[in-house]
Amino acid sequence: MENADWLDVAASLKGDDEAYTRIVRRYEKPITGLLWRFTRDPGQCEELVQQVFVEAYFSLKTYRGDAPLLHWLRKIASRTGYRFWREKAKEPVEMTLSDSEALERMEAAREQDVDSAEAAALLHALLARLPADDRLVLTLMYFEDCGTKEIAERMGWSRAKVKTKSLRARRKIKEIAVRERLLEKLGWTR
Amino acid sequence: MDALEGLVRLARKARQEQTPVFGVADEVRLRIRSERPPSITLLPLGVFGGLSAVAASVTLFLAIEFWKYMNSPIMELVRPLPEIRLW
Repeated sequence: MENADWLDVAASLKGDDEAYTRIVRRYEKPITGLLWRFTRDPGQCEELVQQVFVEAYFSLKTYRGDAPLLHWLRKIASRTGYRFWREKAKEPVEMTLSDSEALERMEAAREQDVDSAEAAALLHALLARLPADDRLVLTLMYFEDCGTKEIAERMGWSRAKVKTKSLRARRKIKEIAVRERLLEKLGWTR
Repeated sequence: MDALEGLVRLARKARQEQTPVFGVADEVRLRIRSERPPSITLLPLGVFGGLSAVAASVTLFLAIEFWKYMNSPIMELVRPLPEIRLW
């Protein structure tokens, strides 16, 4: 663990609020970046970021310091995002790929002109059509570039479970992409 | 290009996205303060415990003193109380 983190964690455990504020300021950007993959609504995302840091504060005594603090915070954030999806799954939302504004804007664009925010919005819309478990695995793989080992560690799942889910999820997302003629719409058929 | 390759390419592009920053530190601090359980002060409990211990010690001392003046403590328990004229 970095020395600054170690000192701030120790001070936070003794009730020093300023020390914990320093931790929040140090890591809110990567945690927001991760949670932005779970919801693209700024209000919901901000609420999730707050939840992560509040939960982390009350779990701080369970942090053993054998991994960097950011890894530990990412684990909490991934679980918080997953929980958010599972709660949201109770409210069915119909969204087809062709309804996505991102795709409409991208249809005309050439490959090199594809905007990263629009690409992210489109990928988010595609993954939103999967069940929470499959969506989580592919979100962490595609957006966060995580391997099966890291996903398993973050979620407390076995690596075999993650591999099975990723295979199944990729098969499903491929079917969706083919059905929606994603490559043709993006002009990526060459 | 395969659909999965297309998705990987889309993901590579998506990872370059600039994500928003909200500045949640102050809000987090407020939430922690409101959710933190109130700290229990042990002083009143300690004072009450101390007073109880003193009272118990005095009672025990008096009981032992009284016990010493009994000829047969067991018989004292079953012996009827002598009638005493109050006036």
